Parts: sequence; structure tokens; C-alpha cells
Amino acid sequence: MSALAHPFRPAGANKIDPVLVMLWILLIAVAALWIAPFIFIVFTSLKSNAMVMGTGAFAPPSEADWGNYSRAWARGKFSTTVLNSAIITIIKVPLGLAISAMAAYALSRIQMVGRRIAFLAIVFGTMIPFQVMLAPLFTLVNSLGLINTYVGIILPYLAFGVPYQVFILHGFFRDVPKELSEAALIDGASHFTTFRRIFLPISLPVLAALLILDFVATWNEFAMALVILQDNSKWTLPLGLMSFQSQFSNDYGQLNSAIVMTVLPATIVYLIFQRYFISGLTSGAVKE
Amino acid sequence: MQLSRRLQSPPFQGAMLLAPALIVYGVFALYPLIDVFGLSFMKWNGLTPTRTFVGLDNYVQVFNNDPVFWGALRNTILWTIMSVAFPPLIGFGLALGLNQNIPGRAPLRALYYMPVIIAPIAVATMWRWMYDPFFGLFNQMLAGVGLQSVIKDWLGDRNVALFSVFIAYVWQTVGFSMVLFLAGLQSVSQTLVEASRIDGAGRFGVFRYVTLPALKPTITIVVILSLINSLKAFEIVYGMTGGGPAQSTQMLAMWAYTEAMQLGDFGRGSAISVVLLLITLAVVIPYLRWSLRRQDANQ
Repeated sequence: MSALAHPFRPAGANKIDPVLVMLWILLIAVAALWIAPFIFIVFTSLKSNAMVMGTGAFAPPSEADWGNYSRAWARGKFSTTVLNSAIITIIKVPLGLAISAMAAYALSRIQMVGRRIAFLAIVFGTMIPFQVMLAPLFTLVNSLGLINTYVGIILPYLAFGVPYQVFILHGFFRDVPKELSEAALIDGASHFTTFRRIFLPISLPVLAALLILDFVATWNEFAMALVILQDNSKWTLPLGLMSFQSQFSNDYGQLNSAIVMTVLPATIVYLIFQRYFISGLTSGAVKE
Repeated sequence: MQLSRRLQSPPFQGAMLLAPALIVYGVFALYPLIDVFGLSFMKWNGLTPTRTFVGLDNYVQVFNNDPVFWGALRNTILWTIMSVAFPPLIGFGLALGLNQNIPGRAPLRALYYMPVIIAPIAVATMWRWMYDPFFGLFNQMLAGVGLQSVIKDWLGDRNVALFSVFIAYVWQTVGFSMVLFLAGLQSVSQTLVEASRIDGAGRFGVFRYVTLPALKPTITIVVILSLINSLKAFEIVYGMTGGGPAQSTQMLAMWAYTEAMQLGDFGRGSAISVVLLLITLAVVIPYLRWSLRRQDANQ
């Protein structure tokens, strides 16, 4: 906070540094570029087609046409896709985090045969591009008779969520002081109890970060859903948006309303829990 | 008695805790990964019960009789090179800027990062609309400043379509590199920075001899992650061009999907996947070894 009291001054100096002022202006200019698409999309979403064709791209809608939203909602079957996305996300995200946390605890705190191999096999998964495996994934889910089912999409989502979460939580659990867990184990508590009573409570900030990252990832996932959820009654939001684009791309206002409605939930979660995103991301990749 | 003691033994408890994640990961992630190799030696349409073993035929077909494959490979390589160069460089620049004493750092950071959390398919839809030849943002702005001659069908012109898609990709991914670089910058020792200042190092000297060396591991991580992410580019292509026009934005991940799921040739699609997978593994395995060594060293 003290730094903010004297902006544009390098540490230790008390004169305003012109280079920093220039830099700041540059950063603001980039920010304007970065936000422009959002403004354009929101403006268009409130315009009628005639207004889209008649007014400039950045002209605010003279008269907000909120009807675009309700029409896009109905035509894009948003009530179905939002519900499907919500069901899948609400089941997958907590369940995935629970099994990842359990596995990470076992791999980091319990001596057992083959744990190094198991850990390596799982960490390897952080790097596998699942886009490469859409055909075998379809084959597998199809052979289990789970195409067009929630279970059929949730299982692969769980599988591909495990590696990153185990990797992060393993690193975190490993650094928990021994005294803390051994005291409990000596008192006769099982590993299940130690995990639940000691490790879960102290790792709440990490768990929260992973929960939010995974919420957004699951909410946004498209490629796997594309091959597994082929029936439009099971479509998730991204699939619905894609179909909306291919069918109604000339209804500019409605198309942009559909984009806004698809993007809004993740954006709100992001704006509220922003710092968790940063910590969840950086705790994995960049450790001091 | 014996049994219950065994049930309480730490390895048994560990196995119970590990099992759910390991099983679901093994079945739905590792097994398809292995199966893609198996499928690449089969002739199969993905639906009928009969699969015929055809040996390396799919690979021969892909390499010799698939004109799209080579274009897709070339585009993938070009895309990867651009993805490793531009988003990290821009992200690095933004991170260096945000690491200075300037007002509004937190909102600026939040804003640059925002596209990262948007569904790639939504980014594709947004940008497709911005590239709309008639009413889209770009052509309207160009017309507005009198540059009618530059106006193009950004996604319909085979000479520029790949770069148009890439611009959208840059917009989406710069924030990712930036956040990693910011975290790296914050771990640069301030004492070292100040010491070198006292020793008379200028702004550039500090950057060159203190900041940059300290950021080496971060740079490696960002470059590798950008590379891996770029090989996965699927959704943004699918959503913006579907590989067209005239296959000019076709890439390996997308073409593997198209061969298998659209054209019903699971063998060829899997053979293309294997090529992409081998390219990925050539990068991933050395990187994983490096990062695990680093992790063990930190322990």
C-alpha cells in the first residue's frame, strides 16, 4: 500500500520517473485493446439487426434491445444447456477434487510400494493433450453404452482433472510438517481421519483455488463434450453456442446475446474469486 | 483379527485413498492413450463390431495419399512457433510493466487475464463476429479511418485466415504467460536488485544481470507450457474456421478429429493422432524429467 501512495517513483527515489509514466500509458493502451472485444460484443448484443447494420461498431445502442437475450435464450435452448452444464459441473468438480485430494494424500504421506510410479503416471497426465484422444475416448465411452449420458461425460472429465490437482496437492501436502500428522497417527487415528481432520482443513485455500479453476475448466470444456454428448437434449453451454453460431449467425444481436450468456457465469466467478485463479495457477508452475 | 489388522495397515489405507483417482484416471485417460496406438493399426469406422488389422497401412496412406495431412503438419509447426514466440513475449512485457510502481496494477492484471477464463469456443464465436466482412469490428474500423483498401474477408481469405485465428489466440493466451511471469518476477530477490543498483547498475543492467538470470526457470516453464498448449489448439480452429478455407487453417488435432469422427475413418484419424502425440511426447518427457529433478532438489 505504501508503494501506491507514491506512484511512478522507483524504489528509493522521490522523483517521478518519466519512463514509468510512459510505460503506464502503454499498459493502459494495451488494456483498451484487450477490453474492446468485450465492449463490442455487449453493445452488439443490445442492438437490433437494423441497428447493427446502420451504426458504427462502437456506437452504443441508442435503444437497448433486451429482447435479444430472451429470444436467444429460447432459440438456443439455453434452459436445457445451462441445466446440463450445471448438473455436470456440480457433480464433477467437488467429486474430482475429493478423489484427487485423497490420492495426493496417499502419494505424499503414506509409504507404499509403487507410489513413485503411480505419482509419475499421474503427473504425466498433466501434459497429455486429450484432444489427440477424442476417437479412442468416444470408442471407450460408446463400448460402455454411456454416449449421451451425464456419467459418460463426467468420468472422462474426472480422469483428466486428476493429474493437475494431484500434482498441486501432492506438493502442498508433502510440505506439511511431520509433527502435525505424526501426533495424530500416534494417538491412534487412521490415515483416513488424519487426512480429513488435519490435512483437509489446513489446505482449504489451495482446495478453493483448485475448485474455482476446475469449475471454469469444466464449464468451458468443448472437445470431449462434442464427441460424447451428441444428442442436443444433453448438450452443454459451449455446444449450444456452437450450434447457435452455425444456425443463426446472421442474427447479430441474438448471436452476441448468446455469447454474453455463455461467458457470463465464468466471468462472474472470475471477478469474485480472482486472486484464487492466480494462486491456483502459479502455485503449480512457479515455485520459488 | 488378522484381517482387520491388515485392513488397518497404512499401505492398505493408502491404496484405498489412491484407488478412486487411479482407477478413473487409468481407465479414462491412460487407456485411450494406449488405445490410440492400437486403433492406428486398424481399419475401422468406429461403429461396426469388426475391426481389421491392417498394419502400417494407415500411416502409409496418411503420409502418401493425404494432401491435407502435410498442410496440417506445416500449419501446426508454424502455429507452434508463433505460439511460443508471441504470447510469451507480450506476456513478459506486460508482466515487467505491472511489476513497476504504477497505479492500477491489480485491475490491469485482472483485465489482461480475463480472456483466459473464457471458453475457447466462445472466443472463437466472438472473434468470428469481429472478423465479419461486412459489419464486424475490424472492417468497420478500417473503413472508419479510411483504409478501405486493407479490408479483407479475414477468415475467408486463405492467405490470412491462419493469422486471423492466431490473433484471437494471442488475445486469449497472453494473460496466462503474464501471470506466470509476474509470479516469477515477484520471486526475484529484491536485495540483489538493490545491491546491484548501489553498485551503479542502470535499469537495463539490473534487468540483464539480475532479473533475467533469476527468471530462467520461469521462462522455461512458460515456453514449454505455451508449446504444449499450442499443439492442443483445437477448439479455436473448430469454432472459427473448421479448418477452412481450402484447409488453410487445418491443423493436426483438428484433422485427426475430422478423419475419425466426421469421415468415419478411425484408423487414419488415430494414425494422425499418434503423429501429434509423438511430437508432444518429444517435448513433454524431457520437460517432466527436468521439472521432477527440480522438485526433488527443492525438497
